[in-house]
Amino acid sequence: MAFVRLVVFGFLALSVIYLSVAVYSRSVRREKLEKAWAEDNPASTDMSAHDAFVAKGITDYNASYRPKLIALVYVVPTVIVAGIVYITNTN
Amino acid sequence: MLRLKIAFRVLVFVTFGLLLHYVLPQHDVVRIGSTEVIRTDFSGFNRMFYAQADSGGVEQPTRDLRLINTDKKNTFFLGFVARDTTEVMVYRNEDTGWIWPPYFKFDSSDLQAEASSVARGDSWAVLTHYGWRVRWASIYPNAISVRIVDSPDVRIIPWFNIFFFVFLVAGIAFLRAMWMQFRERAVDLLLDTAGHHYDEASAGMAKRRGRMLRWLDTWRAKDKR
Repeated sequence: MAFVRLVVFGFLALSVIYLSVAVYSRSVRREKLEKAWAEDNPASTDMSAHDAFVAKGITDYNASYRPKLIALVYVVPTVIVAGIVYITNTN
Repeated sequence: MLRLKIAFRVLVFVTFGLLLHYVLPQHDVVRIGSTEVIRTDFSGFNRMFYAQADSGGVEQPTRDLRLINTDKKNTFFLGFVARDTTEVMVYRNEDTGWIWPPYFKFDSSDLQAEASSVARGDSWAVLTHYGWRVRWASIYPNAISVRIVDSPDVRIIPWFNIFFFVFLVAGIAFLRAMWMQFRERAVDLLLDTAGHHYDEASAGMAKRRGRMLRWLDTWRAKDKR
């Protein structure tokens, strides 16, 4: 029973971390794209071109391997727990 | 106000420090004298300083408790500086199970057997444990593992704690970066927009607005530079 509790609450906690890291990472990328646009087109007031540039960048980001790496949030703690279980309980 | 702030920070720091001191593993150089089992009746207060019944078993108000009786080398500064003197130290030996603290220890019986076999000889051993010995409340540190060493002057490097604190600092830095990003991209924008609408709607109520914003400003962090 305690194990089930650990899995359920651990999954919930890690999901919170996963979601916040995913949002953070995308937000950082969006800011970078906006800054890149402002640097390349300092005088532009064409907001639709700006939005298209950012949207394309975000689509590229979503397709890249980086957002998938955030799934390590689930993998690493599981591996660490398994490691601790093994180290603690072997003589 | 400033004093209150400092007092609050000190309180948080001390509480957190005590928690870590209780939970993180420490290594003692000991000579095990004997092992024993006593029946334990917990009180409402000292119950939280014990783990639960052996994993797989059921929790009862009273149960047996494995103890390891030792002579421990004294140290200064959390074990970093060795001393020549020894003192008596008694450890409990309980399963921590799947919950708290996260040692995931299920092998208390095996550890007790190891401790008994160490007790038969006269050798020194390094005993890893967490927790405190509090005599007046009958609280014992919980032993995690034991290994025999050649001499009592071993150099112990707390690898786990090193990694833990590196990870803790990195985690706090990351959390801070996330919070800054969130404020910059979401909260400030929202406040700007809200302020803007407010401007348009109530151009004539400049005085009230000033008061409102001043009140809002009291909720913002002071400029740290």
